[in-house]
Amino acid sequence: MRLPEQLNERIDRSRPVRFFFAGRVVEGFEGDTIGSALFASGQRVFSRSFKYHRRRGLLCCSGGCPNCMMRVDGVPNVRVCTEPVREGAHVHAQNVLGSLEHDLLAAVDHFGGPFTPVGFYYRTMIRPRSLWPLYERFLRNVAGLGRLDKHAGRTRRFDTEHRRTEVLVIGGGRSGREAARSAAAAGRQVVLVDERGAPADGAFEVLAPARAIGIYEGGLVPVDAGNVLYRFRAERIVVATGALEQPLLFPGNDLVGVHLPGAVRRLVDEWSIKPGERAVIVSADERGLAVADKLERAGTSVVERIDLRSAPPRQLAARGSRGRLRSVVVDGREIECDLLVMSGGRQPAYSLLAQAGARVEYDAERGIFVPSDLPSNVEAVGSAAGEQEPAAVPAATFEGAEGAGRCFVCVCEDVTEKDVKRAIAEGFDSIELGKRYTTVTMGPCQGRLCHVPSIRLFARENETDEKAIGTTTARPPWAPVSLGLLAGRGHEPTKRTSIHHRHEEAGATMMWTGFWRRAHSYEHAANEALNVHRGVGVIDVSTLGKLLVQGPDAARFLELLYPNRFGDMKVGRIRYGVLGTDAGRIMDDGTIARLGEDQYYVTTTSTGADTVIEWFEWWNAVWGLDVETVNLTGALAAVNVAGPRSRELLGRLAQIDTSNEGISYLDAKETYVAGVPCLILRIGFVGELGYELHFASPYGEYLWDALLEYGADLGIRPFGLEPQRILRLEKMHILVGQDTDSESNVLEAGMPWIAKLDKEDFVGKWALEHVQERGFREQLVGFEMTDGVVPAEGGQIVLGGRPAGRVTSSRLSPQLGRAIGMAWVRPELAHEGAEIDIKVNGGFARACVRLKPFFDPEGERLRS
Amino acid sequence: MSELHFLSPDRARSEDLFAPRFASPLARVLAGTTSVLDLSQLGKIEVRGDVDAIDVEAEVVRITPRRALVLCPYEQCAELRARLPGLVIDMTGALAGLELEGEQAMRRLTDLDLEGLPAAGKVAEVPALVLRDGSRFRIFFPQEFAHYVGEVVLDVLEGIE
Amino acid sequence: MSFLLNCPNCGPRDVNEFACAGEVTSRPKALPDLRGLTDYVYFRRNVAGVQREWWYHRFGCEIWFLAERDTRTNEVLKTELPQASAGTSSAG
Repeated sequence: MRLPEQLNERIDRSRPVRFFFAGRVVEGFEGDTIGSALFASGQRVFSRSFKYHRRRGLLCCSGGCPNCMMRVDGVPNVRVCTEPVREGAHVHAQNVLGSLEHDLLAAVDHFGGPFTPVGFYYRTMIRPRSLWPLYERFLRNVAGLGRLDKHAGRTRRFDTEHRRTEVLVIGGGRSGREAARSAAAAGRQVVLVDERGAPADGAFEVLAPARAIGIYEGGLVPVDAGNVLYRFRAERIVVATGALEQPLLFPGNDLVGVHLPGAVRRLVDEWSIKPGERAVIVSADERGLAVADKLERAGTSVVERIDLRSAPPRQLAARGSRGRLRSVVVDGREIECDLLVMSGGRQPAYSLLAQAGARVEYDAERGIFVPSDLPSNVEAVGSAAGEQEPAAVPAATFEGAEGAGRCFVCVCEDVTEKDVKRAIAEGFDSIELGKRYTTVTMGPCQGRLCHVPSIRLFARENETDEKAIGTTTARPPWAPVSLGLLAGRGHEPTKRTSIHHRHEEAGATMMWTGFWRRAHSYEHAANEALNVHRGVGVIDVSTLGKLLVQGPDAARFLELLYPNRFGDMKVGRIRYGVLGTDAGRIMDDGTIARLGEDQYYVTTTSTGADTVIEWFEWWNAVWGLDVETVNLTGALAAVNVAGPRSRELLGRLAQIDTSNEGISYLDAKETYVAGVPCLILRIGFVGELGYELHFASPYGEYLWDALLEYGADLGIRPFGLEPQRILRLEKMHILVGQDTDSESNVLEAGMPWIAKLDKEDFVGKWALEHVQERGFREQLVGFEMTDGVVPAEGGQIVLGGRPAGRVTSSRLSPQLGRAIGMAWVRPELAHEGAEIDIKVNGGFARACVRLKPFFDPEGERLRS
Repeated sequence: MSELHFLSPDRARSEDLFAPRFASPLARVLAGTTSVLDLSQLGKIEVRGDVDAIDVEAEVVRITPRRALVLCPYEQCAELRARLPGLVIDMTGALAGLELEGEQAMRRLTDLDLEGLPAAGKVAEVPALVLRDGSRFRIFFPQEFAHYVGEVVLDVLEGIE
Repeated sequence: MSFLLNCPNCGPRDVNEFACAGEVTSRPKALPDLRGLTDYVYFRRNVAGVQREWWYHRFGCEIWFLAERDTRTNEVLKTELPQASAGTSSAG
């Protein structure tokens, strides 16, 4: 099967490698690719085409075209012509029903033209609409590339690695290596990446086989090295991607046995294989014709050489049987052959350069697109820059002959000359539109083979030239890349409180709130809520945003940020604050404790913390006041101990007088609790007597344990976020983002006392003044259902058949035994006892408006 | 003015019934590993103000001209808090820290220039402070990300072995 | 987006380390009329060209700074720390 040893062959004949293909064992040698070993074993058909299921062979044999894509060890779409052989690999054909030789789906090809022209699906399969799922299943079975093994799991590991280099050379050909050597000689740090596996070099680092898949801003070049994606940041990028052999467009150009010159060269030189018996060469350049020498050395007789530079034929067509080339017809002459080498010249591989921002222009004389105006950090060398020997500009297509098949413009997507003509006739006459309609250039080769030929065809059909047609936009990825590689390891940044593991150990149901993991509930939310009302509960509120605001301008700073006043607060006292924007919107809420004359401790909502901290720092940068803001969110754990028996528990652990006189409602005090220094904030988000303990994070678990231990006889139980939501709703305490949205302001949200409009300035003051002037459009109120039904959050409120508001929160209160909620309603409904109808399950349910908290309206329990 | 005792883990005290136990946020994820050291209990004190005026026997990492992090043994925290100038904030509990070996592991964790350390930047998608000593690296980051960062670091090391 | 942004403090870094708070606007000195308030709160010039913007080094030194960026090319011409009390702002 193999030729005698060739001068530069890559195979090591002393080291055979065996793998499985279609139920048989194939033997190749170390140095073979799966493709070359299969070819040597006599295999000529490597795939069935995307749409028509036509037989396809090794067209380019250099990893560019789609023709040799197979499933290797469960991985689909592997180009076997460049995939090294490995012992025991399992190789399967894809996109076939049956085998490569007997593919049942090939019926699509025999049904012929009317069934599958471009745009057929869009036009035909939309009616009746109800049948689309059937159509879709059929199309998905017929068309396509590989199939994913859904059960494969994570069989491969993909990593991402950040690299830096002074010079990154892309391409390990002659020009690339020369550029790398000279940059290294000039003392630069150089990395060269090459997709073919260029050998190592002492002067610089070689990364191979590895493919640059794009050039992004800032000199970022992602490099696909199989299992590792390197994100290179290069000061200078040298593109030496060479040139791409171009096919010719003639009827039958997709037959098995039609090759580009490089395929023949590699088969003979690298793997010592005889590519065929009788060959015809049709070439626009010297390189293509030069293949004749290789062929003759391999024992293939070259029966005809057609030089497109001197005598281009008008007619060129290939005839075949069972998908294999049998003869070529040239200007009326039929030449029997089993090998046709075609060359339409070579197009500089400019795609990466265009991505980097280079201009690409058509050089009419040479018939190629050439990059120019490169960005300052990018350089092109060798063929990629357009350096190459002269070649003829081939005709857009050649005249056909009877019995010759279709003329393919794009073998990836099975787009024919006829399809392109039809698209243009239908009005898709610009190359960008035509590309999207026909999908030419959008297949796995990413335009390597079809880009220039399709532009030529567009130019001819539009009766203009290639320059006027122009190129399509080049975008990454330049080479197909595994989604797994782009995804990387897929870790998700997650915040956990220092008490987190105690919740998990207690069997809590955990939920996401922003980046945080929080306990939704431990057993039963309603019982946990009741336990707070009746005894004592404890909740982990370490997620609250916490800020220190300190400096001579601290009070002024806060008074500018909040509608509230803070300068008049006594040291050791706490005030509830609502943060607004200059649009008047409620942004966040929390408590502000004055710890010293120029020192405030501010808490924010859990999910708003990061935004508020950046907001504070930003205004500080704008105003330049003499104040420091310090983010203490993670520094401190926080727990809220709440319930009528919380005082008793705290009394056992804290070193202060915990009586109502010792620490009264809205007092902030520092003391030791179970040996840990704490800041105690006596506040009542959940409506019962309660203490928020803020203390150093490392003691989270310790203090949590201590509270549960010393509160055991008081019936202490942890409670989660859901019971807390019930409890706060009973008190009509708002949740920013739940009960408020981008239209909500403190006035209409029913908290006018927050806004001190007599202050000279604060963020949002002007907007609130305008709200006051124009009057309220809607108001936030509470409501109580007259029957037990709980309306959905977001549910519509209707008055006289017209929308009159919406529900923002709703729960069944186990304490009150009623369904309660909060809603935005029109101002005329915002009075105690107003009756509203809420849409529930297609009907309506009656509710009454309530303006005071449902539970403990006077706040006696909070202050007790 | 509060001295913010509640920020300083070293101010906790054992008495009669109570013996506060300092727990590292990395303790669980790093249990049983020897390749990564847990530095969470190192003293970390932030200074706001004139960073050039810092004059102490400890490692000072300058973050901005007005902000620095001072690293010290846990036992030295109290002394340093008293001696440091400007606004002094104890970040010992705020920041978790770990130490690992190997430049390749770091390249898989961050795109920071490893020749330009120490630096504040993104590591494993979270904000961090990175220091280098030869082929060993120390990373400090918000303790709430500790378990996650620990998992990422161990996963990266596993991918290199 | 993968361009580099020069933090006045930390030097050039991947743009993903930063948060952009949009173009620099000017906060009215005193109570504006409704039109003036609406312009300030909601309207942006959104130029195709060089724009002054607020940036925050979220994953790094956590400072706010100003950048002049060409919105067409992402070329950053200049970055600098804000001058105190410049009265520049951008409402959220």
